[in-house]
Amino acid sequence: MSEQKISNSFGKQTRREFVATASAIAASAAAASVPGSALAAKNKGGTLRFSTRADARGLDPQRNIIYYVSHPLAATSGGLLDIDANMDIVPAIGEEWTVSDDMKTYTFKIRKGVTFHNGADVDAPAIKWNYDRVRDPKTSHSFHRSFFKEVEDVVAVDKHTLRITLKTPSAVFLASVTYYPVNLIAPNSVAQVDTHPVGCGPFKFVSWKRYAKTEMVRFENFWQTDAQGNSYPYLDAIEGYPKKEDKVRLTALRTGEVDLIENMSYADAANFKKNETANYNTWDIPQVGCGYLAIQAKKGPFAMDAADGKLMRQALAHAIDKEAIHQAIFNGLSESLNGFYGTASSWHMPDIKNVKEYDPEKSKSILRKLNAMNTPIAVVARQAYSYMHDTGELVYSMLQEAGFKTTNEVFDNPVLRKKYKKADYGIDSTANSYRFEPDQWYSVNVLSSGPSTKLRTGYKNEAADKLIVAARATRDKQVRMEMYTDVESMVNEDSALIYTHGIPLTSAATKKLKDYAPAFAGPFNISNGGVRTAYLES
Amino acid sequence: MLIYIINRILQIIPVIFILSILVFGFVHALPGDVIDTLTATDGEEDPEVRAALEKEFGLDKPIYVQYFIWIGNVLQGDFGKSLVTRRPVNIELLERIPATVYLALVGIGLSILIAVPLGTLAAVRRNTLTDYTAQISSLAGISIPEFWFAILCILLFALHLGWLPSSGYAPFFSEPGKSIWYLILPALAVGFRQAAFTTRLTRSSMLDELSKDYVDTARSLGLSERKVIYKYTLRNAMIPTITISGLQLASLLGGTVVLETIFSWPGIGLAIYSAIQLRDFPVIQAGVLVLGIMVVIINLLVDITYRVLNPRVGMG
Repeated sequence: MSEQKISNSFGKQTRREFVATASAIAASAAAASVPGSALAAKNKGGTLRFSTRADARGLDPQRNIIYYVSHPLAATSGGLLDIDANMDIVPAIGEEWTVSDDMKTYTFKIRKGVTFHNGADVDAPAIKWNYDRVRDPKTSHSFHRSFFKEVEDVVAVDKHTLRITLKTPSAVFLASVTYYPVNLIAPNSVAQVDTHPVGCGPFKFVSWKRYAKTEMVRFENFWQTDAQGNSYPYLDAIEGYPKKEDKVRLTALRTGEVDLIENMSYADAANFKKNETANYNTWDIPQVGCGYLAIQAKKGPFAMDAADGKLMRQALAHAIDKEAIHQAIFNGLSESLNGFYGTASSWHMPDIKNVKEYDPEKSKSILRKLNAMNTPIAVVARQAYSYMHDTGELVYSMLQEAGFKTTNEVFDNPVLRKKYKKADYGIDSTANSYRFEPDQWYSVNVLSSGPSTKLRTGYKNEAADKLIVAARATRDKQVRMEMYTDVESMVNEDSALIYTHGIPLTSAATKKLKDYAPAFAGPFNISNGGVRTAYLES
Repeated sequence: MLIYIINRILQIIPVIFILSILVFGFVHALPGDVIDTLTATDGEEDPEVRAALEKEFGLDKPIYVQYFIWIGNVLQGDFGKSLVTRRPVNIELLERIPATVYLALVGIGLSILIAVPLGTLAAVRRNTLTDYTAQISSLAGISIPEFWFAILCILLFALHLGWLPSSGYAPFFSEPGKSIWYLILPALAVGFRQAAFTTRLTRSSMLDELSKDYVDTARSLGLSERKVIYKYTLRNAMIPTITISGLQLASLLGGTVVLETIFSWPGIGLAIYSAIQLRDFPVIQAGVLVLGIMVVIINLLVDITYRVLNPRVGMG
């Protein structure tokens, strides 16, 4: 198998060059480490009490989405590859890989000596078992499964070589085997996966009381080490305390009941950063994704095939005042966007065109011209996220002002999903994140055959479809950037999705927490960062 | 009395049976189902997957068959497994009941300890400073939103004074000291609001009783004012108070989602609320059924208390 240029996320480097560079900059010790023989770092440890907004739904990481930012349980899991603080995919359990010329075969060299928390080897047969389980609808969540829908076959060539064959060429498959979509569990622990999961992440599961407490202890045989050969993580233990109420989480930090909190409310974040810097560290963590308005274009006056559908959607787009959302909902902490990726992402596209600026008079003029004043439109939002329904409320007012006859309703997920299926809504105030590989956004939410497109918006643009499909099989990142820039310009012109804001998540911790470096993917699975490198000053 | 109690217990059986049908029916009438929640927004809509899950969860059977399977298992003490976490409902939900009962009982106890003396004093010393203070404080208790009062308590007692933890829970039997430590703020938040209602009720009941002829008769017979108030009047005035406290207790057992959220209290309200959002029907059914049974039992106890306080109360 010839060595190929791998450039989807790493620039134009050979795989070998990439591994060398990544190792030198971020994971030199990882490449040199021998798991099991590494020493624990002296004087670095402590029990981190971490308060999160949410808690996991269940313990099986393949049946449940373990939310990478907010669920303490995420520290128990790991994937074949890691992500670093620059949002690039880097070696992990899979320490090297090659891609065939036709981009249909990925071959991974599995790091030797890596074990699950119960001592079982993380080897090629174990990973194959995991991937087969994820591909089986009976044993996996559809979200995880969707990342493997192009997989034709998974073969354990030998104990340390794994080969994955795809149905169609893909330059983007690596993103499907990083941490979040497919976490690995020990095959011989599957019987207890719903009560005591055994993963290969930096912390071992101890106990879980839903909405109350998650206890984890340091995994002494974690594969990654620091530059001195000390094994990560440094912390002795993590205790997770989900506290849904933002104010309560913040109070728990200020009273010393916890050491670290995530997801500070936007209302609190500005003042806290201004007044509490002497006692606490804060981090504004950019998310790879954004808040946006999805317009239902399957039927009705805004439909793709309606005579004036495009003009009507543009009238909606001109009615949206992003600055008002920025100030009122995000307290000035967000970033106004014209495409899916914000400036923190290496996929940010500054040349996107056809942006529909805020101009309510233009909206009114379109509506008058089409004799469509007071066209009814229902704004909906998901109940679970307050910024979504707060934005929905504001959008409701903006559309009223522009001459639409609007309603505004908040629903829980099952009801909203029914509404999507029946195309029984007008605009959905929503958001999407963790799409560090752009194909995961465009193929799902913009491509006309994408599952979310079919379910929600019904957006169709043949030229955009061709570009998305072509980008998936293109190795050169710059070429892909240009393709996606064109796609975004078409999306803006068609106004089927209205991108609004990049949403940062603010974390805060006591000053005793040292060397904690959260990244867009949360605190748990960042190579050489997050809770792996953190410790509490005694 | 024994016959009365047995009679009432026998009446409970059909009530619980009807309750089980209602619970099952309402849960299955909710829009959306658990398969919708298990299929992520980005996930493919695959009819085969849906059919497989429906078969696995027994949703492919007629609704009445599903009911009889469920109630048959419940009668054997098996509430099934959560369809979301795949853990037994006993772990998911029933383990949370002690936390809810603990908070509800202490909260109601606290409210009675505040409300009965305060309401009685307010009635006995009508139109005095005591009465005005009781009325204003109970009006404040009714008017202040529960979540706001809870947040105020946290800010004052946890953040500014540092006397109490802002949130958390410890089981009473394993860590009694810590448990009480965590309980104080939530119980105060529950008790304050309930006490506000009960104070007003006790006051008006007492005023009503104090205006009756038997009170004048007792006084004319030369009984001490203390005896008239505490032995005769208060005893009769307590009947509506007990009724309301019983209803308050039943309502609190149903879960105080807001307070459980604010104080991170691992009670049943938050679990049922989450299960409803996810359409995790074995958890919802078990939770609502168990709570329903508890409410029925509380009503029974309230009725028995009536009889103890006033033997003239009919057999019903």
